[in-house]
Amino acid sequence: MSDPEIAARGTARSDADRTDRAWMDRLAGGDLGALDLLYEQYGAMAFSIAYRITGDRSAAEDVVQDAFLGAWRNAGRYAGARGSVRTWLLSIVHHRAIDAIRRRRPTVELPDSETILPDTLTLPDAWGDVELRLDREAVQVALTRISHVQREAIELAYFGGLTQTEIAERTGVPLGTVKGRLRLGLQGMRAALLPLDGGRGGGGG
Amino acid sequence: MAEHTFAGMTCSEVADQAPAFVLGILTPAESDAVRRHLAECPELHAEMAELNSVVPVLFAAAEPVAPPASLKDRIMAAASADLAARREAAAAAPAAQPSPPAAPPRAADTQRPAWDLGALFRRPVWAGLAAVALVAALALGAWNVQLRDQVAGLEAYRTGVVRVLDEAAKPGAQLAVLAGPTAAGPTGLAAVAADGSVAIVMRDLAPTTGTQVYEAWLIAGKQAPVPIGGFAVGGSGSAAFVTAHASLGDGVVVALTLEPKEGAKAPTMPIIALGAAHAQAS
Repeated sequence: MSDPEIAARGTARSDADRTDRAWMDRLAGGDLGALDLLYEQYGAMAFSIAYRITGDRSAAEDVVQDAFLGAWRNAGRYAGARGSVRTWLLSIVHHRAIDAIRRRRPTVELPDSETILPDTLTLPDAWGDVELRLDREAVQVALTRISHVQREAIELAYFGGLTQTEIAERTGVPLGTVKGRLRLGLQGMRAALLPLDGGRGGGGG
Repeated sequence: MAEHTFAGMTCSEVADQAPAFVLGILTPAESDAVRRHLAECPELHAEMAELNSVVPVLFAAAEPVAPPASLKDRIMAAASADLAARREAAAAAPAAQPSPPAAPPRAADTQRPAWDLGALFRRPVWAGLAAVALVAALALGAWNVQLRDQVAGLEAYRTGVVRVLDEAAKPGAQLAVLAGPTAAGPTGLAAVAADGSVAIVMRDLAPTTGTQVYEAWLIAGKQAPVPIGGFAVGGSGSAAFVTAHASLGDGVVVALTLEPKEGAKAPTMPIIALGAAHAQAS
């Protein structure tokens, strides 16, 4: 699978913004060709994420279908969200996959099923271009630069959909320790990834 | 940093929850409070942005797993249906535009007691609500027209499937799963009873026109295909029928072709769907 964002590393972000915006405009206008292209580009990655989270091919298929149809129906709302189409779409996949596994665990408060966009997309606009875009190898390397317990906490949260309290119970450490591991893990990954990203993810710095 | 309280959270509390927030593992109520705090409090944005920047990168940490080829077909089909429904609703909506309601009487012009609830229903807001309901009803009507055939077809198909499976469960019977050359093509089931009679149920067949019929064939070994009966298909795309025929023995293949008219002696290619009949393990 080719990823135009990786291929286009080094090109101006504003170009990518314009391309993405045009893409979303076509989707919002009911252009099935744009949806076809979106699936060709990100379908396999979406499925990989959904499968990693749900651990079930059939559930992963449902998640990906829901996410692409959600994107298809709500492309008009993309204009208000910053970040690339890739992040926008894959965030929807992540959100729905977590939703799906939390429904299997009735003790957890369920996300509002009417919420289509994940939280990170409804944040204030100031964060537009701080997104890091890197390939899988770089991410794997970054994950080895943080401690094992930090990596475990991040994976249980992000791919396991566990709450902080649940992570504390699972790993047998106090809640405060879990919070610290998540924070230090994210900061450590960022520090490892920034040089690889040519400083573009530096948030203006 | 100055400490503020917005949405019932102090800045320190929001900062404390920041990693869980960007990882999407707070409860809806918690993340809503964080979001509302952030909307009022720019001081935390830089730190939140820093943590958030790592999150999209985690997508790439998932081991690549190839989706089934059928997934794209499912998504495109669902989007096409969605688009068709949207267009039908859009076409139906303008017809529902009500004429502008008469100007409401001003409160000062009419002497009504405050407890006159009936007044609520005489105001134009009611007319507006009625118009909304009408638009919704028409949009649903458009859906219904489109869905009616599909639902009828699905019900007929389900009834047919139950019947075929009942036949296949009888002693000496065999079951064949019928499918076309492409995943999107027609599919169905056939039960070949011990006495040779065949019960078939199909769906997603293109409707027949004029004298066209779908003809079912039994093929045993290297013998010529034997026609066992034809049927026409309407808009639902589903069909179920039972046909009698002397038994051809085990290992028979059931095939379906589209013929220009009834009574074909040899199948017209291509074969629309076929499947080999096997005895079911009891």
